[in-house]
Amino acid sequence: MAEVAHQADVTEVGYQAGPLLEVDNLHVEFPTRDGIARAVNGVSYSLEQGKTLAVLGESGSGKSVTAQVIMGILDEPGHVSAGEVRFQGRNLLTMSEKERRPLRGNKIAMIFQDALSSLNPVFTVGWQIAEMFRVHQGLTRREAKQKAIEMMDRVRLPAAKNRYNDYPHQFSGGMRQRIMIAMAIALGPDVLIADEPTTALDVTVQAQIMGLLHDLQRESNMGLILITHDLGVVADVADDIAVMYAGRIVEHAPVHDIYRAPAHPYTKGLIESIPRVDLKGQELHAIKGLPPNLLRMPSGCAFHPRCPYRTDQCMTDTPPLYDVGGTRHSACHHWTEVIDDAR
Amino acid sequence: MGRYTLRRLLQLIPVLIGTTFIIHFLVWQLPADPFDGRCGQRPCSEAFIARMNEQFHLDEPFYVQYFIFLGKMLTGDFGVSFNQVPVINLIEDAYPNTLKLALVALTIEAVIGVGAGVMTGLKRGGFLDNLVLVSSLFLMALPIVVVAFFMKYLFWAQLGWIEPNVSTEVRWSELIVPGFVLATTSMAFIARLMRANIAENSSADFVKTAKAKGLGSGRVVGVHLLRNSLIPVVTFIGLDLGNLMAGAIVTEGIFNINGVGLTIFRALSLQDATIVVPLATMLVLVYLFMNLLVDLLYGLLDPRIRYE
Repeated sequence: MAEVAHQADVTEVGYQAGPLLEVDNLHVEFPTRDGIARAVNGVSYSLEQGKTLAVLGESGSGKSVTAQVIMGILDEPGHVSAGEVRFQGRNLLTMSEKERRPLRGNKIAMIFQDALSSLNPVFTVGWQIAEMFRVHQGLTRREAKQKAIEMMDRVRLPAAKNRYNDYPHQFSGGMRQRIMIAMAIALGPDVLIADEPTTALDVTVQAQIMGLLHDLQRESNMGLILITHDLGVVADVADDIAVMYAGRIVEHAPVHDIYRAPAHPYTKGLIESIPRVDLKGQELHAIKGLPPNLLRMPSGCAFHPRCPYRTDQCMTDTPPLYDVGGTRHSACHHWTEVIDDAR
Repeated sequence: MGRYTLRRLLQLIPVLIGTTFIIHFLVWQLPADPFDGRCGQRPCSEAFIARMNEQFHLDEPFYVQYFIFLGKMLTGDFGVSFNQVPVINLIEDAYPNTLKLALVALTIEAVIGVGAGVMTGLKRGGFLDNLVLVSSLFLMALPIVVVAFFMKYLFWAQLGWIEPNVSTEVRWSELIVPGFVLATTSMAFIARLMRANIAENSSADFVKTAKAKGLGSGRVVGVHLLRNSLIPVVTFIGLDLGNLMAGAIVTEGIFNINGVGLTIFRALSLQDATIVVPLATMLVLVYLFMNLLVDLLYGLLDPRIRYE
């Protein structure tokens, strides 16, 4: 159903093959009292229909800010200083708010990390899901309620009908995230952005939610951007991984290539810091040092103060995204060394 | 909820007994002779004093007087004043006026306070924000007497838009200026409270969700943001209504409105405890009920609060 509807849209705008969503050389700045914080410095990635792109990075790497720019919900005083975000070929950033609002929630939807604070505490969950149908499709209260209950069933919420009138605080963490998902996919979006959807959940519940997202994505053929700092979460579901560090993409590659042989020292460090059963008893690997202050970015490669492969070149020249072969890219001057070490 | 309400109502009994006892004690202990100046220039006659002592139990011990008073209140008998006017008549004359004034003040403080709070909370640091912050601080610091005299000076003496005193009919239009005077402090407080709530909630995650849902900014602010930010304000307004219904001695006095505040004030200066005590008791009762109502309302506004 969703697929048919999507194809109708495609012909309407005269849009053919090519990525569903493209982020192109995006720069985002936050003016602060101490100077300009450059949260995103030339990020580019693209998302195909039905594919999952995992955006990996630690806090402050710019992964959530990029997502907020795609949604158009970036908080003041943050603003885009350069770059484009194209959805089905059209640049979202030059659209008027009036053109853009019908896309938001409808074609591009987003779920957040903490479902308890992201759901409005004073409205029932059913009302909040039904609001999507009432506002975007102009359905009556009764029709919207019917649809909302269908959505609650679709995210496998037990006894959906009886829980329509319950408030967010009356649900468990996993159930609340299911409600967020139901709300986000209510109108059959083409792109779903999940910003750390499982970080606030128990490990067992994390697996269930990831499974649900994966199933829903396959059913409706949406593109999924999965933002996370947890490499373990993405292995099973992602097609591609973009690793972000200090507002840049440092490595972009298909998921299996990255696990087999990372081509950037930061990615390598992340993979080595995953606890492994066969290395039990040994000290866990950690990336030394702290992420850089966005107000005082290191010269050259932003990762050089923490990097074991550092040379003089790294301190002066900002590495471009080198073509590593296939669809892989790495922003490291010494990527050949890194990749050889991993093998 | 039913059990909770019942428990709260039962709690009112000891509170009410305690407060009436204190009021009764304090008012009757005022160091003054109730017969002082009551009979014109001459001292009162022995026969008059004997009759009054008999009627008002003035020669009984204090606690006996209290229990007689309590017994009469329980049967709904407010008694008569020293001038033989039934106290219930005084209440019937004064209360509607106080209620009208309270409603006018409440409307003004809610509309202006919430409006200013929402506008400044959404656009912090601008001209309007600074204007509201400074003027609300000014209004909160200013004694109500000053505000009242200033308003009277401006609208009566200078502009001639109002009469100096509110007429005995107490028309709604006459209450706008006194209502504004009475509302000033709460209005300034509500504006600041609302501003703080809007400012805090506008960076809340659920507002981000509402935007991400593709809702228009009117709906994001008017439905999602406002509903959450209003909860503490509604609570404050409810409690303030309890205060307003207790009468406003200064405002009623300056604009000569025959309300409960002024009635109590007159009775106090006449040393007539027979009016002060039942009236004060009733005000306590009204305040306690308003308090209970606000607590119950809070549970309706915020679903996270449930009463067991």
